[in-house]
Amino acid sequence: MQPSSAHLLEVEDLHVSYGRIRAVQGVSLAVPEAAVVALIGANGAGKSTLLRAISGIVRPRRGTVRFRGENLVGLPVHQIARRRVIHVPEGRGMLARMTVLENLRIGGFARRDGTDTATELERVFRLFPVLRERRDQPAGSLSGGEQQMLAIGRAMMAGPRLLMLDEPSLGLAPLVVREIFRIIPRLTAEGTAVLLVEQNARMALQCAAHAHVLQTGQVVLSGRAADLLAAPEVQRAYLGVTETS
Amino acid sequence: MPDLAYLVFLVADGALAGSIYALVALAFVVVYKASRMINFAVGEWTMLGARTAAAASHTIGLGPGGAVAVGCAGVVALALLFNRIVLRPLSRSSLLSLIMLTLGVGIFMRGAATVVFAGVPARIASPFPLDPLVVAGVPLSVDKIVAAVIATACIAALSWFFRGSRTGLALRAVASDQQVALAVGIDLHRHFAITWALVGVLSVLAGTLWSFVSGGGFGIELLGFKVFPIVILGGLDSLAGTIVGAFAVGILESLVAGYVDPIVGGGFSHVASYLVLIATLFVRPFGLFGRPDVERV
Repeated sequence: MQPSSAHLLEVEDLHVSYGRIRAVQGVSLAVPEAAVVALIGANGAGKSTLLRAISGIVRPRRGTVRFRGENLVGLPVHQIARRRVIHVPEGRGMLARMTVLENLRIGGFARRDGTDTATELERVFRLFPVLRERRDQPAGSLSGGEQQMLAIGRAMMAGPRLLMLDEPSLGLAPLVVREIFRIIPRLTAEGTAVLLVEQNARMALQCAAHAHVLQTGQVVLSGRAADLLAAPEVQRAYLGVTETS
Repeated sequence: MPDLAYLVFLVADGALAGSIYALVALAFVVVYKASRMINFAVGEWTMLGARTAAAASHTIGLGPGGAVAVGCAGVVALALLFNRIVLRPLSRSSLLSLIMLTLGVGIFMRGAATVVFAGVPARIASPFPLDPLVVAGVPLSVDKIVAAVIATACIAALSWFFRGSRTGLALRAVASDQQVALAVGIDLHRHFAITWALVGVLSVLAGTLWSFVSGGGFGIELLGFKVFPIVILGGLDSLAGTIVGAFAVGILESLVAGYVDPIVGGGFSHVASYLVLIATLFVRPFGLFGRPDVERV
């Protein structure tokens, strides 16, 4: 397969193991510039592991992760973050005892281009007004939805080229989930590509351009998100649609 | 001396000692916060700081300011080397073995110091007048006051550094969650090195100031033992608590030395702070300012 230069991220034949457990087995996928790509699949399908391998937290056994043509495999986590590949992990990774404002400021650490932090901060506060209200509270005191907003806001402070969101809807009320998903088109409009891992397949497929279905560490189905949304096997397995006989 | 003036004298004297304890305790806490490592050698680092500054003073003939500067350069270099050559290769081993390692390093430093600094006086001549300053009938020694002022200024600078600077913010992020720190692009090794550089500077400052007020380098490493009641009282992970704890322990020791020691025949002041340590562990094991690890997940 000849990699196309239009793609921001190209994962090729990636294998990741935890001891003897093969979590990811030969996954290939691509994320174009400023696009949303969704990864859906059941618990334990290897979605989170894939993100962890891209951001350098776990080291793949085999395969490459090309970002703007450069292989990221083997780079330390902080070096990958400085290339503005930003991972918002499941569980959000709050610095619970530091304030909301400090969490946001630390998000700008990956950024070394002298962009004005105040402007970035203003942008985050405009998107999530609740964070402005709570700026001096410890992050640990926020509600789950507010923490997810802070996690995304912190990632935005880095000016991400690729934003990887792991289960942003987990444990949140439907209204809050909608508010968080509302942000994603705005991010892509500003040139950020999003790789989205979700169990809420419907939400994910509605906002993504392309999607991949993972099952036991392998991509079993790929395509345009709209097509997957309509595919009977996806509807049956992930969207809870029962067949009418 | 009238009763009240005696009390004021004891409190003031204790607070002055407490300001130096605070520097030693901060050297301990920055390491603990960054890597959860209990540095049992913190007293030996302080001793090394004092001896290096003294050596700079006696062999090169520098004044106190120059001696501290040269001492800082030397001890910071050693601390960085220690971090790079000893700690970094061991960064994957268990915390317990690192803690044991600090015990060994402490003993090694004591032994090495007596060889390396053989024949070099440990004492640094205090540049301050010896006659005590009498404030409202309470005699206060000038060198202790100057030492306290310098120590307090250092504490204020360090507090600003952690609250207001970009590097300080990053260090607190490392202390809070290393995975998150990595994920936002913080280089952990670089910040561990900054932490150890801070240990070097604090050791020289605390050691030199202690030499001024106590008149000699002998037994300076015992300052390390003061640290444990302080940090347990203040809460291991709280900088503010550490400073408060240091002053509290300094004043407590002074009061006990003034009122109880004459009755029991001396030495009880060293025990008193450990009784406080035990009491704290019973009542508030996370310290006055530390927080129990309860948070929303």
